[in-house]
Amino acid sequence: MEEILLSFSRSTGIFAFMHSPWGWPIAESIHFLGLSLLIGTVGLFDLRLLGLGQGISYQYLHRLVPFGVLGYSLNVITGTMFLSSAPDQYLYNPAFQTKMLLMAIAGINMLLFYSFANRQVQTTQADVSVTLSAKTVALVSLCCWCGVIIGGRLITYFRPPYHWCFWC
Amino acid sequence: MAFVVGINLAMALRLLGVTPKLSLPGFRKFLPFHWWAVGLIGLSGLALLLAYPAKALTNPVFYLKLAALSIGLVFTWRLHKKFLDDKEPEQPLRWGASMLACWVITIGAGRFLAYTNSVLLASRFF
Repeated sequence: MEEILLSFSRSTGIFAFMHSPWGWPIAESIHFLGLSLLIGTVGLFDLRLLGLGQGISYQYLHRLVPFGVLGYSLNVITGTMFLSSAPDQYLYNPAFQTKMLLMAIAGINMLLFYSFANRQVQTTQADVSVTLSAKTVALVSLCCWCGVIIGGRLITYFRPPYHWCFWC
Repeated sequence: MAFVVGINLAMALRLLGVTPKLSLPGFRKFLPFHWWAVGLIGLSGLALLLAYPAKALTNPVFYLKLAALSIGLVFTWRLHKKFLDDKEPEQPLRWGASMLACWVITIGAGRFLAYTNSVLLASRFF
């Protein structure tokens, strides 16, 4: 796995860029900007579903969510750059593994929202509460993204070779 | 920090004309949480500064971050006051672009801090 990632990184020029003097901090800045976009749009929408900001239209607030998707895309691109440039620092790192698990749960949770709750939420008046299922999805989403942030910050404190994952 | 920057980016996007039907003064209902988060980043920032004072204080990038963060928060404070009176800024594009610039600089400078310090411990000077 490490070899595949490193080979991808080297063949695409990512490795050279990330190991240049400013490569890593530039990628980190874009990664944090993407995260902030995600929290500022999806996180805000989650808080609204949970009952905060009563009177603000669900429908219009939801129109900010595509910017959260843009932020998420920036994070996937820069995250791939980190992972492929130093795979040994991530693959065996329990903080990274937890972060990935929480991102997967957030993804499934989002699919559940758009499959079962979104239509009802979009037609709910601004001064009315959404259903319990929509609130549950919002709470799971917020918890997952908070966990993703914490996991991301902890990556640097679980450096190999002291840690590993059970499937490696 | 992500929540503070996030809500400011959302307001900047709205000021720049994204989803114009969304009530801008309505954001005031989220802003009390924003100010709590500002308090938290203030405390954690102070703890980090106290842990390695020389590392930050000898780095010009630290002052750039502090300046951009302070200006960004002044924008938010003035917006909050307008929202409480149910008003919107008269030049929304200028406000939005300025807020966006402040927060992008804050993030960039914050990330570059770890890579630009030349001093780690104050003991170097003694």
